[in-house]
Amino acid sequence: MKKSKASYIGPKILNTLLPVGLAFFIGGIIILCIGENPVEAYSMMLGKSLFTARGFLNTLHYASPLLLTGLAIAITFKANIFNMGVEGQLLFGGFFAGIAGASLNLSSSVMEKGICMAIGMACGVLFALVPAILRAYFHVDEMVVTLMLNYAMIKVLEYLSSGPFREAGSGYVCTPTINESAMFKRLGIDNSRLTMFFFLALAVLIVMTFIFMKTKLGMQITAIGKNPDFAEATGMRVRRKIILLMCISGALAGLAGSGQMMSEKFKYTLTFSGTTGLGWDGMLIALLGRHNPIGILLAAIFFSALKTGADNINMYTSVPKEIVGVLQSLIILFLAVQFLDERYGLKERIQKWIGRKEVA
Amino acid sequence: MAFLNGIIYDSVYHAVPILLCVLGGIFAYKANVLNIALEGMMLAGSFFSVLVSFQTGNIVLGYLAAIGVCMVIGLIFAFFGVSCKGNVIIIGLAINMSVTAIAGFVLQLMNSANIKLDFTNAADFKIHIPVIEKIPIYGSIISGHTVITYISFVCIVLIWFLMYRTKFGIYVRVVGENEDSAKSLGLNTNKYRYLAVLLGSFFCALAGINLALERMTIFTNNMTAGRGFIAIAAIYCGRGDPIFSSMYAVIFGLARALSVNLSLHAGAAAAVFDVIPYVVMTVVLTVVSIVKYRNHKVRGV
Repeated sequence: MKKSKASYIGPKILNTLLPVGLAFFIGGIIILCIGENPVEAYSMMLGKSLFTARGFLNTLHYASPLLLTGLAIAITFKANIFNMGVEGQLLFGGFFAGIAGASLNLSSSVMEKGICMAIGMACGVLFALVPAILRAYFHVDEMVVTLMLNYAMIKVLEYLSSGPFREAGSGYVCTPTINESAMFKRLGIDNSRLTMFFFLALAVLIVMTFIFMKTKLGMQITAIGKNPDFAEATGMRVRRKIILLMCISGALAGLAGSGQMMSEKFKYTLTFSGTTGLGWDGMLIALLGRHNPIGILLAAIFFSALKTGADNINMYTSVPKEIVGVLQSLIILFLAVQFLDERYGLKERIQKWIGRKEVA
Repeated sequence: MAFLNGIIYDSVYHAVPILLCVLGGIFAYKANVLNIALEGMMLAGSFFSVLVSFQTGNIVLGYLAAIGVCMVIGLIFAFFGVSCKGNVIIIGLAINMSVTAIAGFVLQLMNSANIKLDFTNAADFKIHIPVIEKIPIYGSIISGHTVITYISFVCIVLIWFLMYRTKFGIYVRVVGENEDSAKSLGLNTNKYRYLAVLLGSFFCALAGINLALERMTIFTNNMTAGRGFIAIAAIYCGRGDPIFSSMYAVIFGLARALSVNLSLHAGAAAAVFDVIPYVVMTVVLTVVSIVKYRNHKVRGV
């Protein structure tokens, strides 16, 4: 029996929403335990960042690097490769985009931005190339290598930002602020923080969607993910594809880092990528968005709303904003499991269920 | 001489948490459930051992709490990964993140950046063996370490025995190598996977206790700093053999000891030496892989 594609969507959406609901439920219990009202806390968290115009635009602003890191992880998951180094690639890219932005002094602001982003992307690619080559030619597990090198990268950047590249006059560890011409200016709609970078990220998302849905490369990568041996046997050069894919992923992470630098932070500090880290947030977004572009967009906005809302919750209640980290990891945990079998459509399932009831 | 002694002592000192994680991860690796959550379980062990000791003033309770919590985490991991057949890598990473988040949450509630025990200090945990202590070099290898250090080295032999000389070890390996034949023999494959994961979480609890409570009597968030991942690399290098994998764990202990001791003399560039263990591990992993696939002429990945 042939079924239409639409009938699969029901359980898919439920399988995505159930983990979120469960995580919020457990989070609610935790909030109750410390003597606060969970409903109030959640409404404070999401209300302002999703349902007011200015809050929503700010949410979009914070979602832009998340879009890119989510995409960076989603494309590697698709080929069954685990690039867990997105965090390190993002920091590396962001750091050198910041250094370039502070030291370059070009007349054209567009060119300066372009160069900074190119440098950020190049750094991301460079850092992703190490595990990619090790994986493709020496069979080294890329997941372990990327997880380890993240720590190495954090240490190196800690040294660089507190040593050679430290801003002389500042009281804490940071690099010099980037030039005005390298900054993405706020668009000023409703007094929000939204910049052009969001639209850039959106454009990248659309381009990557096109590449992965419509071109030969995209098809090949999907094939590699399903069965690498078969892909190799049909003549695809799996090694080269893996390296290329890791490079694209690294470039996206580097771009996310430089965007974060040029639209939000303007200088590298030790808390450049926030508490959970933009790279790790990307993993949640890739999983929550089910590796699907629209899913990634929605997931990035949802998660960004949570994160910006966390600042509100911290301000008006005694709930620490680390609750977002707890929610995030719980969502990932529950997303790893399929609650419903996706082979059957929702409609058939309900019909079957009703049918069984009638018999009984 | 003092410098050399320092390096040797520190090698043992830094090898122990990694060694314990390796011993814990081996069974899960052999049972084909790669336990990425070693890192998170170790952090949970550190956190709860120090937290409970801090709240109750009783160190034994701290030990028990750490082991209990790690067992619960192991059960969660096994339930999602084995019973629900989820992706173990994602589950493992989720557990790592959740432990960090919960520890951060509690620290924020307590309004401090770390938890420090004030009724005891790290020197109390060290065991000095009278005569051996005086012998150069051997003294720093054998004497002056904590209880769990000695336990961990004894456990290498015990784990080897458990894996190769008992029914349990053989069954776990069969389950990992060929699940269908294990099932055809009537083995309850899920049971052996659960046990393998739980054994791992027990050892991770010990690693965490050693790392935080015994060595420093202090907990700071993310103090495990990737040791769980180093342990996984060591398991990969030794291909799950207790003796070889432990050997790699000691090599990484040595790398860390070198980085710590060298950075004392490095001045401003000290932070760069912190990179040594991670780079050493990547290189070792690559070399082991090259040797393994040297005569591998088949095209493909």
